[in-house]
Amino acid sequence: MLFSERSIWTMVHGIGLGGAALLGLAAALFYLYAARPVPDATGDETGSRAYAMVTVFSAVMLWLTVIIGTYIIFPPYRATPPPGTTDLSQFPRALVLANPSTAWLHAFAMEIKEHMPWIASMLTTAVAFVAVRYRRTALTNPAMRRMAFTLLAVSFGVVAFVSLLGVFVNKVAPLD
Amino acid sequence: MATLARSQSPALGATNGAGMAAVLGAGIGSSAMAAFVLLNEAGLFAAPALYGAAGGVTGRTTFATIVWLLAWGALHARWRSREVASGPVFTWTVVLVALAIIATLPPVWGVL
Repeated sequence: MLFSERSIWTMVHGIGLGGAALLGLAAALFYLYAARPVPDATGDETGSRAYAMVTVFSAVMLWLTVIIGTYIIFPPYRATPPPGTTDLSQFPRALVLANPSTAWLHAFAMEIKEHMPWIASMLTTAVAFVAVRYRRTALTNPAMRRMAFTLLAVSFGVVAFVSLLGVFVNKVAPLD
Repeated sequence: MATLARSQSPALGATNGAGMAAVLGAGIGSSAMAAFVLLNEAGLFAAPALYGAAGGVTGRTTFATIVWLLAWGALHARWRSREVASGPVFTWTVVLVALAIIATLPPVWGVL
């Protein structure tokens, strides 16, 4: 088999769901930056539905990412090797901690990845709620627009940062 | 936070209160995450592991998520039909989120 089950879950988590969340957040940010909505015949703002959909999509992707990361990816990562194990390739945490030059990948990178993405999930969910509930004004109300842009920018920054850390960890100690 | 509410309107959905509740709720949830992390690192409170294979992170993140939902729900019930000053809500949310992000950085735990 080309990829192990653990490897496939890692790709689903990082590239599939995390990548989709980043794309969604980028699209929502660009929309907030560039869109100049005008009401259509029904009174709805043109494009506000797409903006609401992309923020909801981003929030769903982020929640799936953190839940799968915590409950499916993290357990095999932190598994303790049996005493006397010399090949640590199946025990990523033990592998990175065994070498002083890579220990930071757990002590810094993975510790951040455990908690910080949940903050991005909460922020994006709040913006998605506002985008859906106030669809007629979410893009034209300056206060709402500024608030949404700031919170989504923070979410994007956090997700991009932890994604990069994830790449580092997976590069040195992949879940194969 | 009651001082943030400026006026009350019966027209549900026409006011910004529900949106402001969601935004501030996210800020409170973020700070709850930071609080559980700092309490754990300081050895004052370790949230129990809800899934043993994943360890204490499952307890910390679940507890923080519950605090977030409770805070959001309480604020929503209070503000949903009100017009709420967005400036203070935005400021408080940004401050809470910034502190939460800083508190989840491992180098910060070293000063505890």
